[in-house]
Amino acid sequence: MNKLTLWGIVFVLAMLLFTYISVSGSEGGLHGDIINQLGVAGAVALVIITVYVVVGYVRQMQEKTADGQLADEQWDGIGEYLNEVPTGWAVMFLGTMIWGMWYWVAGYPVNSYSQIGEYNEDLAVQNAKYEAQYGSITGDRLVEMGESVFLAECKVCHGLTADGIDGKAANLNQRIAAKSVKYTILHGSNNELLGMEMPMPDRNGLFNANSGALITDAEIDAVATYVANGLSGTGAGANIFAGTCASCHGADGAGMDMVAPSLKAFSPKLVTNVLNHGKKAAIGTMPSFATKLNSKQKEAVGAYITSLSK
Amino acid sequence: MFHWLEKNPFFFAVGVFVTIAFAGLVEILPNFAEQSRPVIGTKPYSTLELAGRHVYIKNSCNACHSQLVRPFKSETDRYGHYSLSGEYAYDRPFLWGSKRTGPDLMRVGNYRTTDWHENHMKSPASVVPNSIMPGYAWLFTNVADIDTAYAEQLTVAQFFSVPYNQPVPMKDGSTAVVKMGSSVADANALALAEAKVIVADMRDQDVKDAVASGKIPEIVALIAYLNSLK
Repeated sequence: MNKLTLWGIVFVLAMLLFTYISVSGSEGGLHGDIINQLGVAGAVALVIITVYVVVGYVRQMQEKTADGQLADEQWDGIGEYLNEVPTGWAVMFLGTMIWGMWYWVAGYPVNSYSQIGEYNEDLAVQNAKYEAQYGSITGDRLVEMGESVFLAECKVCHGLTADGIDGKAANLNQRIAAKSVKYTILHGSNNELLGMEMPMPDRNGLFNANSGALITDAEIDAVATYVANGLSGTGAGANIFAGTCASCHGADGAGMDMVAPSLKAFSPKLVTNVLNHGKKAAIGTMPSFATKLNSKQKEAVGAYITSLSK
Repeated sequence: MFHWLEKNPFFFAVGVFVTIAFAGLVEILPNFAEQSRPVIGTKPYSTLELAGRHVYIKNSCNACHSQLVRPFKSETDRYGHYSLSGEYAYDRPFLWGSKRTGPDLMRVGNYRTTDWHENHMKSPASVVPNSIMPGYAWLFTNVADIDTAYAEQLTVAQFFSVPYNQPVPMKDGSTAVVKMGSSVADANALALAEAKVIVADMRDQDVKDAVASGKIPEIVALIAYLNSLK
């Protein structure tokens, strides 16, 4: 055993001692913590291997001299030995060349990472999952889904209970408020509530068949109250409704396909159209949610809102 | 020449650096230029919107609100399409932000409206219960700085060729023209015309009166800016 090996052993022992001291001083120590145990095992292996290799190379530098047959050529006095190419090196060299060719031709172009690509894949997976899980739900589950979508997207304006937060947005617990009826009669409506252009005229186009004249201010107030109260009761409002509004909205106010929406109740279709086109009316502007919600979510919100006013 | 380089390692190193740097720039710059070109549908900011952007920066909105939708489903569900670099082409500086104390505002113009912003800026908790955002009451009385916004417009039009008064392609195939005034007075008149459109949807009588008398409160400019974020 020479001096170098001795120093190596001393160094290894010193390092192991330090390791032991620092680990046993740390929280948890060596007992009962698999991570610490693995870490220490790694450190021990590392120290021993490092010292073994370094000692080996230092000894090689001290003792070994160059040998082998010199090549005939030399350059300014520098020659080279005719040694065999080391097998490990040759294998790695060839392997790298082959891998390089594959990587340039197929590896990189075909498999290169793209953040958007990952997003698209994720989206496809999520959408398929969504379709499988929720694509065909109906009834109460659809209403539940509508409520959760409502609480995510709609509550910031319409409020947690869909009451419109003190008139900041439409109160969806009733089909329509008197203020909105009045506004619509005064200004007409072109909000594509039927999913297509079907404008309602303003007061200058609303003729009361009973009186034979355009609708008056007093009549507007009366019919607004009547409609807001759910078209119940008789009296002036009911007569004006029959004379002016019923021709499009139907005698019972339930609306007509392709002509006018129902004034009695929400329907998922009506809500979907509002979500698709947005709305600008008495209270303010509602933005379009055409691309923000998918068709099932719109249907669900429609079902939820319809269920609120029932 | 090569002999000389071999004998002068310093200049050889300089030569290597120049060669590699040039090759790198040739590879990188065209890609950058392509990416930062405005996407179709991105318009320069109008005078009022730019004044609103200054209000946004002045009140440090970007300290709590980011403007960068990342490509994750959870984000695109909530905020809309993920952001593209070309969408920031006219943002100087961009307002990506690094922390979301509040929600992202990259596309807030798609799902919030003037009247909602008005309620919300006055008292956030009145529309969003438990909101920790403070109210910004002073925006309703402070007057927006249109002159500075116009100065910025002039600068970016001249030095960065931002296309004011020129047709800009939109997503639906049409073109839009964002006007820039020819003088300070003209710019103020344009901003006032924009403000009148915004204020028609607002309720605060003081703000309406201020705009009617020719002053533009900061809230109007800020709402114009927020509505332009799409």
